[in-house]
Amino acid sequence: MSTLIVVDQAPYGSWAGREALDMTLSLAAFDQPAALLFTGAGVNWLRKHQAPEDIGQKSVEKNLAAAPIFGVEEILADATACQRYGLTEDNMIAGTSMVTDTSATLNSHQQVVFAG
Amino acid sequence: MPTSLTYTLVITGAPWTSQAPQTALAFARELVSAGHQVDRVFLYGDGIHLASALSTPPSDERHWPREWSEFLAENGVPAVACIASALRRGLVDEAEQARYELTGSNLRPPFEIAGLGEWVEGNMKSDRVIYFHGSV
Repeated sequence: MSTLIVVDQAPYGSWAGREALDMTLSLAAFDQPAALLFTGAGVNWLRKHQAPEDIGQKSVEKNLAAAPIFGVEEILADATACQRYGLTEDNMIAGTSMVTDTSATLNSHQQVVFAG
Repeated sequence: MPTSLTYTLVITGAPWTSQAPQTALAFARELVSAGHQVDRVFLYGDGIHLASALSTPPSDERHWPREWSEFLAENGVPAVACIASALRRGLVDEAEQARYELTGSNLRPPFEIAGLGEWVEGNMKSDRVIYFHGSV
């Protein structure tokens, strides 16, 4: 049974996205199929060279880069949102795939979890 | 189609910040009265504040943590607060108090503290997993 975790909030403004990532990694740790979808301002999670140290946070880049190693099946980005925020393959972290039809993505998973 | 379904309820919104715990309690009561089964309740993120034994609302207001713990006890429903969410936010049981040499513990029974594995198990075993979020 596959679970899609949807992150639609920008990183560092709240803890919700980070906790959603923890959920995804824990599904993978128990060998449950899991994927991440970033949409809206959430696509900014996928930006390269994040530097949140000055605001007392750890970069989420490393956690995301490690997600495939821990068994997360896919890291998906809403193409329209990426365009809005000026994100292209050049300035996005490696290993992400663009999706143009997010409703099809939502429908292709048995469980969809929105980050609180 | 089965007449009775099993549910895992996930609460991520805190009491007195969001309506999530109240909505979840109303939903849980309806499930039980309709003959469904609540497998477990999982508190995550700010939702862990529901399990605090120290919440003390004015006496003429509803006491959501107490009402929830009464519901859990009456119906034998296990409820778990995520340990990572709980420790960050200052919710600890006696074991964690000892482990981190803290001055007190404040977990309201019958809530327990455990890992995200509890949520994963609910995700695998329950017919439905329903989320009650606060606002972000």
